Amino acid sequence: MSGTERKYTVKKLLYFVFIFSTLFLFGCNGGLSPEPEGQSQQQEAGFGGSVAFLGKWPTGVTRTHIVAFRSPLLTAGDFNALNLAFVSDSIPYGVSGIVFSSLINPGLPIKAGQYAYVAVAMSKSPTLSLVRKDWFVAGVYYANGDTTKPGKLTIPENTFVGNINITCDFNHPPLQPPGGE
Amino acid sequence: MKLIPVILLCLFCFMDIAAQTGSIFGRITDSRGLSLHGANVVVQGTAMGTSTDSSGQYKISRLKKGVYRLEVSMVGYKKSITREVEVNRTPVELDFTMEETALQSKQVVVTASKYEQQLSELPVSATILSSSDINDRNVVSLDYALRYAPGVNMNYDQVSIRGSSGYSRGAGTRVLVAMDGIPLYTGDTGEIIYELIPVTQIDRVEIIKGAASSLYGSTAIGGVINVITKDIPEKPHFYAKAYYGLYDHPYYKEWDWSGELRPFNGITLTHSNTIGKLAYVVSLTPSENLGYRQDDYYRRFTGFLKTDYKLTELSSLTFLGSYLGQNRGNFIYWKDSRHALQPRDVDQGQKVNSQRYMLAAVYKNVFSPDFFLKARTSYYRTDWRDETSSHDTSRTGIFEWELQTNYRIIKDLIITSGLESGAGKVNSNLFGQPGSFNIGGYLQSEYRFPFPLSLTLGARYDYSRLDTLKGFDSFSPKAALNYRLSEATTLRASIGKGFRSPTLAEAFTSTTASGIKIKPNPRLMPETSLSMETGINHNFGLLINFDLALFQNEYYDFIEPGVDLTDGLITFRNLTRARIQGLEMNTMFYLIPQRLSLLTNYTYLWARDIENNTPLKYRPRHQAMASLNFNSGPFELGTDFRYWSKIEALDFELVDLGVVTDGGKRVPVYLLDFRTGYNLLSLGLPGKIFININNLLNYNYIEIIGNISPIRNASVSLEVSF
Repeated sequence: MSGTERKYTVKKLLYFVFIFSTLFLFGCNGGLSPEPEGQSQQQEAGFGGSVAFLGKWPTGVTRTHIVAFRSPLLTAGDFNALNLAFVSDSIPYGVSGIVFSSLINPGLPIKAGQYAYVAVAMSKSPTLSLVRKDWFVAGVYYANGDTTKPGKLTIPENTFVGNINITCDFNHPPLQPPGGE
Repeated sequence: MKLIPVILLCLFCFMDIAAQTGSIFGRITDSRGLSLHGANVVVQGTAMGTSTDSSGQYKISRLKKGVYRLEVSMVGYKKSITREVEVNRTPVELDFTMEETALQSKQVVVTASKYEQQLSELPVSATILSSSDINDRNVVSLDYALRYAPGVNMNYDQVSIRGSSGYSRGAGTRVLVAMDGIPLYTGDTGEIIYELIPVTQIDRVEIIKGAASSLYGSTAIGGVINVITKDIPEKPHFYAKAYYGLYDHPYYKEWDWSGELRPFNGITLTHSNTIGKLAYVVSLTPSENLGYRQDDYYRRFTGFLKTDYKLTELSSLTFLGSYLGQNRGNFIYWKDSRHALQPRDVDQGQKVNSQRYMLAAVYKNVFSPDFFLKARTSYYRTDWRDETSSHDTSRTGIFEWELQTNYRIIKDLIITSGLESGAGKVNSNLFGQPGSFNIGGYLQSEYRFPFPLSLTLGARYDYSRLDTLKGFDSFSPKAALNYRLSEATTLRASIGKGFRSPTLAEAFTSTTASGIKIKPNPRLMPETSLSMETGINHNFGLLINFDLALFQNEYYDFIEPGVDLTDGLITFRNLTRARIQGLEMNTMFYLIPQRLSLLTNYTYLWARDIENNTPLKYRPRHQAMASLNFNSGPFELGTDFRYWSKIEALDFELVDLGVVTDGGKRVPVYLLDFRTGYNLLSLGLPGKIFININNLLNYNYIEIIGNISPIRNASVSLEVSF
């Protein structure tokens, strides 16, 4: 490479560096930015955790959701739309487990408050229904490892409650609330 | 720290450059007779010196009557020592011609194969960071310097070579980091404590990319970083470096939690000498950083001692000691994106006290020109205490030794063999009181054919055991080729098996911290890999060096942290299969030889959990960097640009579990750093001054979830040496 060619190459490269730097300087903003006030996750109440599925999935399941009820399901009548406080997006059929957040996967969003029954419910009905007998419970949330009774979920204002973990053991299904088949 | 300016002033006061009577002057030229501007000319064994002007002229005045030699050095030329000249009242003229060195890639010597080779002869990809790469950027610990190495990225304090590692809060490493061949991973978490490596004592850092388990065993599954410390000078030598810097105000007002510019500073004092057969260097560094984030400060003291005792002309005993005492805040995750520089309320006030030291002895003996023996032993002690309500503590000792021989059986066949073992013991409320043991033996041969091809074949067998768990063994073979296609072009290819044993932390950690519950996994197995690479290196004349590598790493039983879905707890698990493939392209442009150079790098990574077809965490798909360096006489200037694409996956579980608010936020990264320096030799002072501005655009980004990386900061540093 002659001296003139070298100078030309260097000039070209420096032009390239200059143009690139200019575009870069004007093109990129400050990068990661704060969420607008009031929109940060911290100020949204919610809960999250994991769901594990053990054993073989039952055939014919059309939809699976994480649900939360305000009051305990003591009678078939407690399974109603007014008592239902949260429904997650549908969980894909056949998965071995998921990690979920009520803020990310809300079918019906949850608010701060106390919830007496949190569970994974499955339906074999071809259409979405709120009829109790169309649903069966695959797993229930238990607090502090106490599997004798459903765990209560308390979500304070502006708080996200983690570690709400549910195991659905298809070989050992939990006690079904009244009104099922 | 307020003493720093006073100390620096004193340093200059001690430099008595008055009351001398003679002078040496002359002209420094290259082999074509052209003047060299900016060559350093130092009177050997003294602090006196200067640098050449634009016509290559120099003059050193006020020399006492005597006999002197001059030491002449300049980037791109061989460092040389002149003949002796006698100085009296009459000025002495001494012209000197410097010999050019070839392109940098040809002259650099590396020890990837556990003996010295030229970089161009290696059958694997390697990158060298020189001491000036580190010093000019005013980095205070090695992990900062590694961010500027092509193909390497840091996930906070965890190094990843070509995507080998994600982030696991320090537990386990897939890159073996060693100092003069001595491994530096801790006995409990298996992490690298970079602060223990004295940056001012680094001669070069050799970065070997791809699995190197066939020679180095476990932890070298993703590569090796070997820090080579400087040789000890024969004459008494004093070196001091002091720096002071400030973090700017954050980009967003709501992030300005302190309302002030947060300072950082430090000073290193080093003395070395040779007395008879004993050479020594001792270095002390107090430093502090008040942090750009709340509860992210540190105060640390590091000490380094190296002695080299020449037993005979061909044998020596080297002792290394390194100490780190540190008190630091423990910033875990941000509160949320509106309070990105403040920790969560539950983490407020967290701090950790630690004391760590490493002692090592290395014996070398060149029995004959064909037979070399090296034996090393080391003890690495760590002791840390988490000063929070959990009061987590860990005391660990790990003892290691290695015996290595290099034997040239015939002219073109070199056999490297060795035996290596280590044992560790932990006492911790986090990990329990487990012990670990490993032993490995290796054999490697390199044969150079009559034509320009070298073939390397090697294998290593390892056995390791973690406390009461069943022991594992692993056989790691490797084959590699280096073929010089022409004077300008070299081809290389390698295939090898790698493995990594789980660390005690990965198998036994049981704790709750910051709302994260971590449980042990005693069923954790070692991970293995099959690593393949092919590459080409080509010189386009003397002005451009181009290197391209294609690589594929298949991982089996890949260890990654994640949520156990049966109980929602974090644990380390063996992912069934992972694959990392990609390419790395490096080009060095010598735009104006010895003056202006540009290094560019592009790395493409495709890193997948192929069982679930999901991206591996913390592996950006595209990485690029460009580094422009200019020097003219005593003046130098440089800028670094780094880019990496938005990481596809991070610890989403921590977001879903509500541990890290706004934790999913991440952006592509555009970073610009600037540096300039001036060699004070031109003013008759044996020192250099640097100004560095990092993250010039004050760009906000994360390397790991919920942690903003350093915001714009500027520092000035001064070093003197005599």
